[in-house]
Amino acid sequence: MVADARSRIAGRARRDPGASSRWALRSTAFLYLGLFVLLPVAVILQRGYGSGLGNLEDALHSFGAWNAIRLTVVLAVVTAIVNGVFGTLLAYVLVRIPFPGREVVSAIVDLPFAIPTLVAGVMLVALYGPTSVVGGWFEDHGFKIIFAVPGILLALLFVTLPLVVRSVQPVLSELDREEEEAAHTLGAHGWTTFRKIVLPALRPAIVAGSLLVFARSLGEFGAIVFVAGNIPNQTLTAPVFITQLLSPGSYGQSGGPDQAAAVAGLLFGLAFIVVLLTEKLISGRLERTT
Amino acid sequence: MSEAHAQPLASGGPADRAASRGRGVRALLVGIALLYVLVLIVAPLGGIIFYGLRSGLGAITDTFSQQDVVHAFYLTFVIMLIAVAVTTVLGLAVAFVLARDRFRGKSFLSALVNLPLAVSPVVVGLMAILLFGRGGWFEPFFTAQGIRIVFALPSMVLVTIFISIPFVIREIVPLLEELGTEEEQAAWTLGASRLQTFFRITLPNIRWGLFYGMALSAARSIGEVGAVLVVSGLLQGQTETATLYILRAFDQYQPERGYIVALMLAAFSILVLIGIETFKRRSLKRAGE
Amino acid sequence: MRRSRVILTALLAALVAVVTFTGCGGSDTASNASANSGSCTPSDSPVLTLAAYSNPYDAYGKLTSTFGAVWKEAHNGQQLIFQMSFGGSTTQAENIINGFQADVYASSLAPDIGLVEEEGLITHDWQSEQNGSIVQAGAVVFAVRPGNPKNIQNWNDLTQPGLQILTPDPSQSGGAKWNIVAAYGAAMRGEVPGYAKGSAEDAQRLLEGIFKNVTVLDKSANDSLKNFEAGNGDVAITYDYQAATSIAGGQEEEIAAPPSTVFIQTPTVVVDKNAQEHCVQPIAQKFVEYLHTPEAQEVFATVAHTRPVEITEAAKGTESVPPIDDLFTTDDIGGWDALINDTLFGPEGAFTQAFQAAKG
Repeated sequence: MVADARSRIAGRARRDPGASSRWALRSTAFLYLGLFVLLPVAVILQRGYGSGLGNLEDALHSFGAWNAIRLTVVLAVVTAIVNGVFGTLLAYVLVRIPFPGREVVSAIVDLPFAIPTLVAGVMLVALYGPTSVVGGWFEDHGFKIIFAVPGILLALLFVTLPLVVRSVQPVLSELDREEEEAAHTLGAHGWTTFRKIVLPALRPAIVAGSLLVFARSLGEFGAIVFVAGNIPNQTLTAPVFITQLLSPGSYGQSGGPDQAAAVAGLLFGLAFIVVLLTEKLISGRLERTT
Repeated sequence: MSEAHAQPLASGGPADRAASRGRGVRALLVGIALLYVLVLIVAPLGGIIFYGLRSGLGAITDTFSQQDVVHAFYLTFVIMLIAVAVTTVLGLAVAFVLARDRFRGKSFLSALVNLPLAVSPVVVGLMAILLFGRGGWFEPFFTAQGIRIVFALPSMVLVTIFISIPFVIREIVPLLEELGTEEEQAAWTLGASRLQTFFRITLPNIRWGLFYGMALSAARSIGEVGAVLVVSGLLQGQTETATLYILRAFDQYQPERGYIVALMLAAFSILVLIGIETFKRRSLKRAGE
Repeated sequence: MRRSRVILTALLAALVAVVTFTGCGGSDTASNASANSGSCTPSDSPVLTLAAYSNPYDAYGKLTSTFGAVWKEAHNGQQLIFQMSFGGSTTQAENIINGFQADVYASSLAPDIGLVEEEGLITHDWQSEQNGSIVQAGAVVFAVRPGNPKNIQNWNDLTQPGLQILTPDPSQSGGAKWNIVAAYGAAMRGEVPGYAKGSAEDAQRLLEGIFKNVTVLDKSANDSLKNFEAGNGDVAITYDYQAATSIAGGQEEEIAAPPSTVFIQTPTVVVDKNAQEHCVQPIAQKFVEYLHTPEAQEVFATVAHTRPVEITEAAKGTESVPPIDDLFTTDDIGGWDALINDTLFGPEGAFTQAFQAAKG
C-alpha cells in the first residue's frame, strides 16, 4: 500500500516533467527541422512557384527537359527495384550465412557512403569506360556502358546499395527464428520458408530502404555527371539539367535560378510525396497487425 | 515430404539431399551477392587504391606537404565536426519525438527527415544562395552585420549539415522504438530526472547505433562535393575542402594527388565505420559473457 | 554510462569551440577595411581576390606572385595576399553576381563580363581600356590522336559518320561557346568546303552534322579535353593553348588547326564595386595593367601557351601553336550580342536549331 501511494505520487510527478520535456523535445525538433529543412525547401518553392506555374512551364519547354525528368524517374524506379532485390539478398547473406570474410564484406557495403560521389564517377569511367578492358569488350559487342544509360544505372546502384542493406540487416538479425524452425520441421524448403515467413516480416524494411533508394536516385549528381554523357533526350538526367538551367543563354532557353528552382521543387516534391505515402502505408499496416 | 522429420537422417536419403541442396543454394546466394559487390563496389574501390598508391610513397608525402592539401583536410574536418555535432544533438531530439511522441503529422516529420537524401547537391547549394546570396531572403540582415555566409565557411557548414541530417536520426529511431520505455519509466519512478535518465539509461542502450549514425554522418560530410562546390567560391587554400581539392587536382593535371586525397578520405571513413563495428561486436560479446 | 555522457559533452564543447573559432575565421577571408565607415583605410596586408576561368591557373599563379614581389619592393614592403579561384567562366560570373567577393575577374569570353556589368558590379568602360581588356588570346583547334588517323583537317571533316567528337556543354562552359562560334564563323565566311558563304542555313547544317557526332557533353572545357586524353572519342574541339599545355605536359595528342577559326580573346577586368568596398581598387587596377606588360605577356606565352593579343601576330602562330590562315574575331561575324541573343544561340539561332535537330 505504501508502494501504491508512492507510485501514485511519483506518477503525478512523472507526468509534469514528462509534459515539459516532451514540449522541449518537440520544439527543438520542430525548430531544427523547420530551420534546416523547411526553410530551404520554402525558398526553392517560393522562387520556383511564387509567380505561378510560369517558371515550370518555361523550364519544361527547354530542350530535353521532359526526357530528362522521365529518364531520372524511370532510372530511380529501376534502381530501387534492383537494389531492393540485391540489397535484401546481400543482407540475408550477411546475416544468415557464415562465410569467410563476412565482416569485410559487411564493411565494404558501407563504402559508397564513404567515397565522394565524384570519385566514384571517375572510377566507374576508368573501370567500365570505352577504353577499359571490360567496357571496351562490351562496346565492341554493341553495348555501351559508360556515356549511356547502363552507366548511369551503374552509378546509381553503387551510390544507393547500402541504403537497402542497412535497412534490412537489423530487422533480419532481430528476427525470431521460431517460426522458420517450425516451418522447417513441417518440411517446408528454404525458399518456401523464406517467401512465406521471412519475406513478409522484412517487407516494411525492404520497402523503406527501396524508397530511400528512389529518393536518393532522383537527386544524384556527382557520380552521374562524369559517367552519363549528359546528352539531352538521351543521357541527360534531371539534376544535371537543373545545373544547366542555372546558366542561362544556351540552347535558346532562358534559364535562371527560378526555373531551376521550379524543376528542383518538382523533383523533391515527388520524392517527398512518394516517401510520405508509403510511410503512411507501412505504419498503417503495422498498426493494424499489432 | 512430411514424413521426413519423423525419420532419422539416413545417408543418401531425401533429408541429406535436401541438406546438400540447401548448402548448394546457400553457396550460390553467397556467390551472387559477392559478385554484385565485387563489380559494383570492390572494383571501383580497388581502382582508387591502385591509382592512389601507384605513384608510390614519395608522392603521398609530397601531396601532404602541400599547404593547400593540409588546409583542405583541416577545413573538411572542421566542417565535419560541426555537422556531426549539430546533427547528433538535434537529431537525438528529433529521434525521440519520432519514436516516442504521438501526434498528427508524425509521418510528415519523418518524411521531412528523409528529404535531404532526395535533394540534389546542386539544389542544396542553390538553396543557400537563394537564402543568403545577393537578393536572398536573409542577405540584407547578414550583410548589415558584416557576416559573409555564401562563398565563405558558414554556408559550407550549413549545406553540410543539411545533407547529414538523416543519418543519426534514422539509426536511432528503430533502436528507441525497440528499446521501449520500461527502463526509463522505472528510473523516473525512482526519482531520476529526465536528463539523468537519458544519460544513464537511454544513451548507453542506444550507444552503438548512435555512434554508427555519427560515423555515417561524418563519412557523408567529408565526402560531400556538389553542394560545397556551389557555395564555396573555390578559393584555393581558403574555402577548398578535401573533395574540392580533388576536383581541382584532376582539373589541373595532377590526378595522382587527387587519387591520394580521395584514398585518404575513403580510408578515414572506412576505418571509422569498421572501428565502430568492431567495438560494438566486442562490447556485445563482453555483455553476453 | 559515464563515458557516453563525457563523449556527448565533449562534442558539445567542441561544437561551441569550433563555431566560435570559425566564426572569427569566417570573416578573415575578406579582411580588408570595411566600407561601412565610408572612408578607406587599407590594411597592412591587402587581400586581392581573383576569380578566373578554369584554364590559366599556372599563369596567374606566377603572375600574382611576381606582381606581389614587385609591389612589395615599390611600396615599402607592403605584402599583398592574392586569393584565387578557378572555375567555369560563366559560373564565376554568376558567383560574382551572387555575392562572391572577387576584385578581379578573368573571364574566358566577353559576354560573361557583360553579365557582371549588367548587375552594376563593373562600372568602368572596360572595352575601351588597353587591348579592350584582353589579356590572353588563342584559337579554336582540333585535338587529335597522334598521326591524325581520322585525317581531320577542316570543320566539314567533323561530320563524317561514325566519328566521335568531344566538346563541352555550352550552357556550362565558355569554351564550348567558342567552339561553336568557330564552326559557325568558318562556315559563314565560306571557308568550309560544301557550305556556302553567308548562308545561315548551311552553317546550321554544319553544326547539326557536328553535333550528331557529339556523344558526351562535359561540363567544362578542361573536363572535355581530359576525357579525350583518357582515350575516349576521336577528336576534341578545344582551345589551342589548352591542348598545347597538355602536350607540353606529356600528353600524346596533336593539334590539327582548321584553315579558318575564331580568334579567342579572353578579357580580365577589375570588379569595381567589390574592389572599392575592399579598398583595393588602385592595387587591382595596377594588377590588371600589369597583365598587359611585355613581361606578363611573356609569362602567358611560355606558361599558358597563348598567342599574342594582336591578331596579325597571333595568326602567325607560336612555338606551341600552329599558324592560322583565316583568323577572325567575333566582331567579324556580327559581334557577341548578336551571336548570343539572335543568330547563333538565340531561340531561332543556328546552333539552337541545329542542336535540337541533331538530338531531338
